[in-house]
Amino acid sequence: MIKLKNITKIYQMNKNDKVIALNNINLHFKEGELIVLKGSSGSGKSTILSLIAALSKPTSGEVIVDEKRISKLPDNFAALYRRENIGFVFQKYNLIPTLSVKDNIIQPLIPANPPEDELKVKLDNVMKRFSIEHKKDLIVRNLSGGEQQRVAIARAHINNPKIIIADEPTANLDEKLSLDFIKILKQLKESNKTIIVATHDPLFFDLDFVDKVIEIYNGNIVE
Amino acid sequence: MLSKINLYLVQYAIGSILRAKYKSLFITIIFTFLTFLLTSIFFISNSIKYELNSTVESLPQIIVQKIKAGRQYDIEVNNIEQILELNGVVDAVARVWGYYYFENAGVNFSIVGLNQYETQYKKSFTNIVEKFNLDKLSKNPSMVVGQGVYKVLNDNYYTKYFNFIKPDGTFKQVDIAGIFDSNIQLESNDVIVLQQDIARQIMGMREDMATDIVVKVANPKEILMIASKIKLMFPDTRVITNEDLKVSYDNIFDYKSGIFLALFIISLFTFFIIIYDKSSGLSSEEKREIGILKAVGWTVDDILKEKFYEAFIISFIAYLLGVILAFTFVYIFQAPILRDIFVGYSQLKTTFELPFIFDIQTLFLVFFLSVPIYIAATIIPSWKSATIETDEAIR
Amino acid sequence: MILSPEVISILILDIVFVFFALIAFYLSIRISLYWDINSTSKMQYTLEKQSSLAATIIKYIFIIKLPLFLFFIFTLDKISNVLTGAMCAAGVVDATSYGTYLFILKIINIYLFGYWLMLHYLDIKYENLPYVKLKFRFFTIAFFVFISEIILEILMFSSIDISKMVSCCGTLYSSSATSVISSIFLIPTSVLLSLFYGIFLMMICFYYLKNRYMFSIMNFLFIIVSIISLISFFGTYIYELPTHHCPFCFLQKDYYYVGYLIYTLLFIGTFYGISVGIIKQKNQYIQKKLNISLIFNLLYVILVSAYPLIYYIKNGVWL
Repeated sequence: MIKLKNITKIYQMNKNDKVIALNNINLHFKEGELIVLKGSSGSGKSTILSLIAALSKPTSGEVIVDEKRISKLPDNFAALYRRENIGFVFQKYNLIPTLSVKDNIIQPLIPANPPEDELKVKLDNVMKRFSIEHKKDLIVRNLSGGEQQRVAIARAHINNPKIIIADEPTANLDEKLSLDFIKILKQLKESNKTIIVATHDPLFFDLDFVDKVIEIYNGNIVE
Repeated sequence: MLSKINLYLVQYAIGSILRAKYKSLFITIIFTFLTFLLTSIFFISNSIKYELNSTVESLPQIIVQKIKAGRQYDIEVNNIEQILELNGVVDAVARVWGYYYFENAGVNFSIVGLNQYETQYKKSFTNIVEKFNLDKLSKNPSMVVGQGVYKVLNDNYYTKYFNFIKPDGTFKQVDIAGIFDSNIQLESNDVIVLQQDIARQIMGMREDMATDIVVKVANPKEILMIASKIKLMFPDTRVITNEDLKVSYDNIFDYKSGIFLALFIISLFTFFIIIYDKSSGLSSEEKREIGILKAVGWTVDDILKEKFYEAFIISFIAYLLGVILAFTFVYIFQAPILRDIFVGYSQLKTTFELPFIFDIQTLFLVFFLSVPIYIAATIIPSWKSATIETDEAIR
Repeated sequence: MILSPEVISILILDIVFVFFALIAFYLSIRISLYWDINSTSKMQYTLEKQSSLAATIIKYIFIIKLPLFLFFIFTLDKISNVLTGAMCAAGVVDATSYGTYLFILKIINIYLFGYWLMLHYLDIKYENLPYVKLKFRFFTIAFFVFISEIILEILMFSSIDISKMVSCCGTLYSSSATSVISSIFLIPTSVLLSLFYGIFLMMICFYYLKNRYMFSIMNFLFIIVSIISLISFFGTYIYELPTHHCPFCFLQKDYYYVGYLIYTLLFIGTFYGISVGIIKQKNQYIQKKLNISLIFNLLYVILVSAYPLIYYIKNGVWL
């Protein structure tokens, strides 16, 4: 379902400096798989994630998701694709700390301007599913780490995306929260979502429900 | 194109403004102050224009002055005979008036000489003539003065009479017979009314001469025609109609408010730069926020729209506040300090009330000078922040 | 030189417009030359970002231009009080040689910018952005028309001489005048009216025949024949005076500002009407525009026809 064909990504820092983030890699993920991208920071795994999310464009090569070439979509189409297909869970959650739980979660819905009742239904469903309904009007920065995590996941989930992308999701978490997160991941896998996790947290490498572990080093796949 | 406004975006914009509390407040205050200043100036000048235009209504329809070498000279009273023969002329009256410079106080008085038995060319003078018998006033030379004059004379220890210095250097003592008030406040404060011959004596004018001649015409539409006829009759004169006066008043006021507009432009330009500077320097917080929004599916257009709403809300609120404050300042507090710029620094300042004039064009004018310019200043910074590379922003 | 505050504010906004239009112009040239949707070079990505800046600038100018145009008319009205002889905006327009051309250019530019935006919104509906190069080449040309308007505006305002007398609309728009306008009155009323209603009926026919090119052409002709018939015939019924032909006076309060409604209806109707012919798009969009165009043109016809009819009903005779 997700194919990366001959992908090279080069960042041009300035006239003489360039960084080769990915070097002619090829990847293929099937629907419903849980993939772990293993590698240290700077290895290129985050770049793969942003390519799949159409957040950046490759220097050469193609990214194909569900038979559709997403690597060169113009901005408004790329954003639409993201809204409908991708749920993002970032490192440090990347919630807006001064907004309420509710306002953070509905962010992906705003551009589509849905009718009020439809928005409410989606919001209630996702808050219930991740057990943060009772905190919906609280400001995010006043929540505990675990609660913020659930808000971030709720936001990633509100549009019911097919693909969940998690970039170092457990980087700042203690063991308990990390295990909580893994539990949620298992739930999501069971609902047949395609999940791609980029991490160097060893907790992920031996999980039984992980379909593939791919190691990235210096922009290349380690065989 | 006529798409529905995305209320969620508007809500988000409002939230965003409130989250950057200090920055938003700072900008709003400065902008409100600028619009306040500008609107006040327009309100004041509109009111004064109106007041003056009502004055102009009471001005003579035609004034005939004798001009020699570009300067005004005394005109022969006899000219009235020929003017009266013109068709359509109702009345022609010789006016004796001038200025007297009172050196001690450094002020100018307006001297008006009236004739008890003539029809007066101004209603207020008719009232004076009825109230004070000028003939009697000429027996023992006396005058009637305006409030401002009386005060100045008092301050200089002239309580019962005054000594005019005639052009030939001799003195003329004139008693103060009374004080008058007039309905038209702008003008009468510095006026001294005397019997015409006494006035002539003070100004060194011959008995058969006058300062100018005012002509009253039966049909106002014929003013221009009669004016040109008079000019033909007396080629050494300048003939001024009330329309000319009206137009020149309008021009003076536009000129004065034009200067302020120029000053305003400069401050607006400065403000433009401040805004640009403030909006361009994105903190890492703001960069992150935009990166997050784009990652969860906002397009560049959505972000631009949201920033536009922010800019519009702030500038529009500042505009409304500025207008309301200006309204309060000008019409309720009567615009202290600012109105002096328009009325002039003369010592004998008149006290008058600024009439309330509602002119929707002024509101539009201030709107166009403020809101679009503010929004223009935010175009490039908003675009810059909306198009940052997302993946770098959220790393 | 007339420097009332209104004029100054219009000139200030003009300067702002020129500044931003220049930026958009520069970007348009670059995009017209180097745009390649299939390229993955940094240049292309930069161009994509810049195209959104250009679009934003053009949107901004258009949004402000519309109310500014109304404000412009207000300003002309106000200036007419200071110009001897002028009783409405017509006198001010005629006071200089630039006035009429400026007015026409302003209207043309509103149409042009409107069409650019229409093309833009159509363009971004498709993933391959098919109209980008066309869009920006179009703007490169429209830019010069826009700059001409600004230059004319500056020239006009700086050359208005308040000491010079101007003609009032009464003399400008009468059969005895010698200008181009007066030749309008040589056309007999019956011919004019048959043209007016005739073209409108043809428009309706082509609407049902779904022939968008002819519909578009009819709309273009409709603008011309509407303005002429408005000045020559319908206007006199608004004023109830057979010699009063001015197209500006009924914008004033005395006539309940009906002029704004009349011109707005005509503009919206013909704007959408012409657009179906010049911009290729999917049928659903075309149908919507056809509908809007027809409705607004119909409202226009009803409104202007109402005046003579009501007059006849009230008085039993025509003017």
